[in-house]
Amino acid sequence: MKTDVLIIGNSAAGLSAAETIRKHDKTKSVTIVSSEGGNAYSRVLLPYILRGKLKEENVFIRDNNYYQSNDFDYIEGKVTSINNKEKNITIDNNYSVNYESLLIATGSSPIKPPIPGIDQDGVYHMWTKSDMEALIPHFQSGKRVAVIGSGFVSLQAAWAAVSKGLQVTVIELANRIMPSVIDNKGAEILSEKIRSFDVDLRTETMTNAIEKQPDGSFLIQLKGQEPVAADFVIVGTGVRPNTGFLAGSDITVDRGICVDEFMQTNVEGIYAAGDVAAGPTSFGDPHQIHALWPTAIEMGKFAALNMLGKKIPYEGSLNMNVTQMYDLTVASMGNFADESGDEVHLIPESQGMGYMKVCSREHRIVGACLVGKTSAMIIFGMLRPVIRQHKQVTVDYMNLERDLQKLTYGLMH
Amino acid sequence: MKTVTIDRDKCVGCRNCEMACAYARTQETCESSVSNIRVNHYIEQRTLMPMTCLHCEEAWCMSVCPAGAITRNADTQAVVIDANRCAGCKMCMLACPFGNIHFDNERQVSHKCDLCDGDPKCVGHCIAGALKYQEMNDLAAAKRSKYDQMVIATAH
Ligand SMILES: Cc1cc2nc3c(=O)[nH]c(=O)nc-3n(C[C@H](O)[C@H](O)[C@H](O)COP(=O)(O)OP(=O)(O)OC[C@H]3O[C@@H](n4cnc5c(N)ncnc54)[C@H](O)[C@@H]3O)c2cc1C
Ligand code: SF4
Ligand code: SF4
Repeated sequence: MKTDVLIIGNSAAGLSAAETIRKHDKTKSVTIVSSEGGNAYSRVLLPYILRGKLKEENVFIRDNNYYQSNDFDYIEGKVTSINNKEKNITIDNNYSVNYESLLIATGSSPIKPPIPGIDQDGVYHMWTKSDMEALIPHFQSGKRVAVIGSGFVSLQAAWAAVSKGLQVTVIELANRIMPSVIDNKGAEILSEKIRSFDVDLRTETMTNAIEKQPDGSFLIQLKGQEPVAADFVIVGTGVRPNTGFLAGSDITVDRGICVDEFMQTNVEGIYAAGDVAAGPTSFGDPHQIHALWPTAIEMGKFAALNMLGKKIPYEGSLNMNVTQMYDLTVASMGNFADESGDEVHLIPESQGMGYMKVCSREHRIVGACLVGKTSAMIIFGMLRPVIRQHKQVTVDYMNLERDLQKLTYGLMH
Repeated sequence: MKTVTIDRDKCVGCRNCEMACAYARTQETCESSVSNIRVNHYIEQRTLMPMTCLHCEEAWCMSVCPAGAITRNADTQAVVIDANRCAGCKMCMLACPFGNIHFDNERQVSHKCDLCDGDPKCVGHCIAGALKYQEMNDLAAAKRSKYDQMVIATAH
């Protein structure tokens, strides 16, 4: 079999690329390969479904005749190797497909920390639709869950469990939660809020082992603390790009697949996008992995434009994150870390947005983070182009929303 | 496509548009805080600026929605949110550079202008002729595409 455009991956980056190709070119054959069967779905929705905010069938984000109506070929199967010299891939170690140009959008998978007992029934990740299906029967009021890890995904899993009336323990090795999403102060505020929902949140706690009890429940053995009892366990301690099948190809991998501003790998005609790709950022880093949905959408789009030969460089990814959990809006964008040495502007609590911090460097806004109210999201939206353009601005941080509006409407420069 | 155009020199700041929108959305309140159109006042500039969704050609809110909840209406070309599919994740609010997406804290879903299925109530209630529902002229189209490019560099 032969196809003009071959896309490995049927999620944010892959779909964004396929749709961009179709928007500009009605004739090229496009084939999408995915190891997860069935229609495209969204990982982001898993916690919303587990907590009952959305119906289970809403996990699917494209309709039944999507592939047909867009004239995409769809192959269900796992890509096991790539031969870039022959320009083909092998599926399920079994048959091969030839391509003209190739996009790798295989995403990432949860890391399994080396904890004895992690590989057994009753210990889950929350990463795929099948993980969700396995977890649904456990999400019943009164059950006890231990969540290992306190990143963005783990805390959403814990929030879903709290919302459903489960007893929740969160075990984190580091001394604070969510390091890549909020600053220290934000983490403190959120931790306090999480505990106010009766979550037993333990930082600086090492998990020694997950032990199954004769009755099928678990004891989580901790270093220097009494063990924690749980009916099931969710592990969320970070992700790693899915690059295993690239061994034997000439594609350069350094944690992720390294791509240039055209989303092309070191091999001509082979592109990568999304969680699997390490690409340029808005701040000039050459190869960074954000592992975020909006970045995957953008990278997929630019990969497609360049696969069509348009030579349009991507301006670089800007990390952005938002979620609603524990009755708070938690969001961040760009550089907001405490250690960065940037100027810090705290938005007064009296403005009713909760804890919000904006960071700048030489009169350029570089980032922001929030643990507070929805009303701040309008500011985040307006900040995004301002951060990306690296423009020097004179804004009054006490009247930030108004000044950003004026910038946006061209009333001010 | 036809869209709501704004002539900011004509706006008198009466906020009728906000009230009309609020009522059309809720059928019970004229409270501005639930409206999809907002009139902003800039005192030093002596300017009023009603703002509502531009239904961007490259609608970044729509591309980014991880729930497939934002689509383009085939009849009106409006960019619309399906409240039944909305997860309430707020990514669209992060995506819109104009602050044109609002949030219903009670239902935990986002909402925005949907052009009232082709009969925008804000336009009907504008006493100053500042709002019109009309084919975008070249200027408006050019402006819109400039905004689009600000959202994300595009291929036009
Ligand atoms: C529970 C949860 C909540 C999240 N919440 C947020 C959020 O709020 N905001 C945010 O920005 N991000 C969030 N994320 C992260 C976001 O989902 C990812 O960044 C995004 O899905 C990346 O898209 P992708 O297309 O690169 O990869 P993926 O979504 O991982 O998709 C990879 C695709 O490749 C296929 N594939 C993989 N390997 C192979 C192979 N060898 N052969 C064939 N096919 C293969 C898979 O089947 C899949 O179709 C969340 C993730 C999870 C799990
Ligand atoms: S990005 Fe903003 S202005 Fe553009 S379509 Fe979406 S909500 Fe409307
Ligand atoms: S808040 Fe709703 S409409 Fe907005 S991006 Fe999230 S799911 Fe989509």
